[in-house]
Amino acid sequence: MTTCSECTSFFPFEDDDSCGDCVQRVVDPRQAYHKARPVDADNDASKCPNFNKK
Amino acid sequence: MSTATQTNITNAESKEWWWVAERERSPRLDYLRKAVWKKGAIGGNYAPGIKVNLERAQLFTESWKENEHDPIMLRKAKALAHYLENKTIFITDQAQLVGYVGTLPNTLEWYPEGASIVNEEVYNEQSVIPEPEKESLELIAEINDYWSGQTAIDKLGRVLDPEDIVKFMSGVIGWGSPTSAYGYSGKDYEYILTGKRGFEDILDDIDANIEAVEKETKGMPGPDILPLYDKLLNWEAMQIILDAVIDYANRYARLAKIIAENFETDPKRRKELLQIAETCERIPAQAPRNLQESFQLDLFIQVIARAEAYEGAWPGRPDYYHGPFYDKDVNIDKRLTKDEALDLVGEFMIRAHEVGMFGPRWTREGLQGITGTWVWTLGGVNQDGTDACNDLTVAFLQAARLVRVSNPTFGFRWHPEVKDEVMRECFECLRHGLGYPSMRNDPVLVENTMYWYGHPIEEARTWVHQACMSPCPTTKHGFQPMRMASATANTVKMVEYALSDGYDRVVSMQMGPKTGDPRNFKDFEELFQAWVQQMEWLMKILVRTVNLGRVKDPEFFGRPFLSAISERSVESGLDAVSPEGERGNCWVTFFTWVENADSLAAVKKLVFDEKKYTMDQLMTALEANWEGYEEMRLDFVRNAPKWGNDDDYVDEIMVRCLREVARHGKEIKCPSGNNWPALPENVSGNIHYASLVGALPNGRRLGDALYDGGISPGPGLDKKGPTAVLKSCAKIDHVKDGRAFLLNQRMSPTQLNGDKGYTMWKSYMKSWADLGLDHVQFNMVDDTTLRSAQKDPEKYQELIVRVAGYSAHFVDISRKTQDNIIQRTVVGL
Repeated sequence: MTTCSECTSFFPFEDDDSCGDCVQRVVDPRQAYHKARPVDADNDASKCPNFNKK
Repeated sequence: MSTATQTNITNAESKEWWWVAERERSPRLDYLRKAVWKKGAIGGNYAPGIKVNLERAQLFTESWKENEHDPIMLRKAKALAHYLENKTIFITDQAQLVGYVGTLPNTLEWYPEGASIVNEEVYNEQSVIPEPEKESLELIAEINDYWSGQTAIDKLGRVLDPEDIVKFMSGVIGWGSPTSAYGYSGKDYEYILTGKRGFEDILDDIDANIEAVEKETKGMPGPDILPLYDKLLNWEAMQIILDAVIDYANRYARLAKIIAENFETDPKRRKELLQIAETCERIPAQAPRNLQESFQLDLFIQVIARAEAYEGAWPGRPDYYHGPFYDKDVNIDKRLTKDEALDLVGEFMIRAHEVGMFGPRWTREGLQGITGTWVWTLGGVNQDGTDACNDLTVAFLQAARLVRVSNPTFGFRWHPEVKDEVMRECFECLRHGLGYPSMRNDPVLVENTMYWYGHPIEEARTWVHQACMSPCPTTKHGFQPMRMASATANTVKMVEYALSDGYDRVVSMQMGPKTGDPRNFKDFEELFQAWVQQMEWLMKILVRTVNLGRVKDPEFFGRPFLSAISERSVESGLDAVSPEGERGNCWVTFFTWVENADSLAAVKKLVFDEKKYTMDQLMTALEANWEGYEEMRLDFVRNAPKWGNDDDYVDEIMVRCLREVARHGKEIKCPSGNNWPALPENVSGNIHYASLVGALPNGRRLGDALYDGGISPGPGLDKKGPTAVLKSCAKIDHVKDGRAFLLNQRMSPTQLNGDKGYTMWKSYMKSWADLGLDHVQFNMVDDTTLRSAQKDPEKYQELIVRVAGYSAHFVDISRKTQDNIIQRTVVGL
């Protein structure tokens, strides 16, 4: 199973690498930004459209 | 922006100041200003691309279900902490300040625990449902099902008097929801924003309180220790939310570092990102040290307050509380240049402008074009009475002309010691067509604040605009934690009901008391006494409802975060919304007020004095909505005296009405035992209520726009010039007759051009101040520009107008509101 920890967008927490932030670049019609949300490292990422293998 | 630059601007450009702003502002401000997703509803509808945020509803509800055995404040703190820990965050390119109310920049926050009636609107508002729509609707339906019957408003509805709640919620007599879920709060800025403490300091205070109280709860049994158990739980809730906010800020610090170290290639921007990281590692845990940290603390407070509740106003005094940091950074340490500081000031305004929360339709129609009334207070005096204006006051007034946002706007506390340099900056904002700052008479309003509520003078001098208009201190016992102005009255119903025996013909329901068949009134006194009874009834029913909503709010809603940043709650262990410890600062907002005086005067003159018509003829015409009686209607429009012309006939009726209201405002009491004065103003309620108010003796028909509000004369009805308007308004005692009185004025941008225009405006302002008026605000946009914007809205997207207690982009308000603004008389000085 492909997991979040294998993705270039995954940045593990310093104190607990079983979780981390999924950080993505977004360019919407008005502005560009980076967004982040916490995810578990072993989340199933097989259906994630933004998955990008490290 | 230099004065030389201003004088070089051509006349053609002066009508389209937004092009000047684009040219003058920094590339950063230009990018950030254009990056904003417009959240204010356009004529009541959200702009394409705006979506409701479902993360809060989902995460909040998830935690809420898991902690069902906790008392409400603790349960809520855990639910908010869960949201802050897991929500999506973002940092916009070029931004130096971070934190947003929703998740992504185009989202509106939604509070499913607030009101089922709003939850249903979310479900049915198709344009804001995020993709994939089917899944989103299923989620919203599931969340709505869970909250149905247990939202704050649902719970309140079960304890209110059934007749009161039906009338209150009928939509025709009042405008508001008596809960913290949909309102706003003042803040104890003297506690949290003076640079003396961070959240870790508050946590230390709470730890000490818990330790002291636990000694008592483990000691001698007795009635005194029983309330302490609840307080311990409340303090625990405050600890949870303060820790959660510190962690939330650290999430931004971490994201900024990740971007700097992994994505950013520009060394200058990388440095800025590391500065954001340093700021968010410190703020809000510790006290701020510089302007960026001070703004960031304020922004986090505002964002989290809006994660906790729909806060539709933003009481603030940014020059006063952030001014010392501006002085330190720019003048003393030279850490920032003036231009760099101006970027921060402009961005702080933009961060406020971008805030969006899902509002029910009645708020979107009543506040067209904006999310809420962010009326920031500038100027004024220090607690010792000395001039409080500083370099940051000027910077805010300059930044406003660069970013040209319709929200926040400013209310400027004028007093005799304000320097000419600062007055000129206020004038330039008006001349640039912003419609703000509104000008407030500080000595009058400080006295008013003391007169109505007994605030000590030092506290009264801290006042900020609680929403559009009403002053409120920012102190431990003075700040107001809940929107008591949910007692907002559609006051034109007073005269309408006096002429209908209390029956509302629009909604076909007996609303007010039976005060007699108006056809049988033999003289004006009988009509006036009926009006007094209807006025008292309307104020009472609204105040009763809001008072109960206030005392039940800690039980039905709960505000752990607001409590945690309020000294009296940190000290007492009570929810900040508890009336205990608050001195009281309530007012009844009077929408649609002047129609009362004009209508009463019309009946007095044409029916009872001149006996031109009988009451039976008048009532027949009103019941027919004047249809078939056009000649008679025009007689009532043209030949009855109208407020705003220095005509004692109608002005004395206005003052008499206000004195009756003031008398009654001292009879009815808030939960703290203090008074409820009236505050005439309108936002855009004059349009919202147009279809809910029947025909009136001033010649108005059902559906016609009502007057634009406060004590402003009816549009086009002030025939005798601006001095006559001021003289009429000066017959009101602006201290004792009510809380504050909104006055709209339109002036010619051509006449007020340049230094000569400034001199004329200052002369007008001197008359205004000498006559003791408390408020005036200006539109300085000519009819040609407004009509051009109606014809070609795409070209005038950035045109701003003053609507009522707020400003809006002209193209975002309904055609009816646009026409209403154009109809206002342009006064010549």
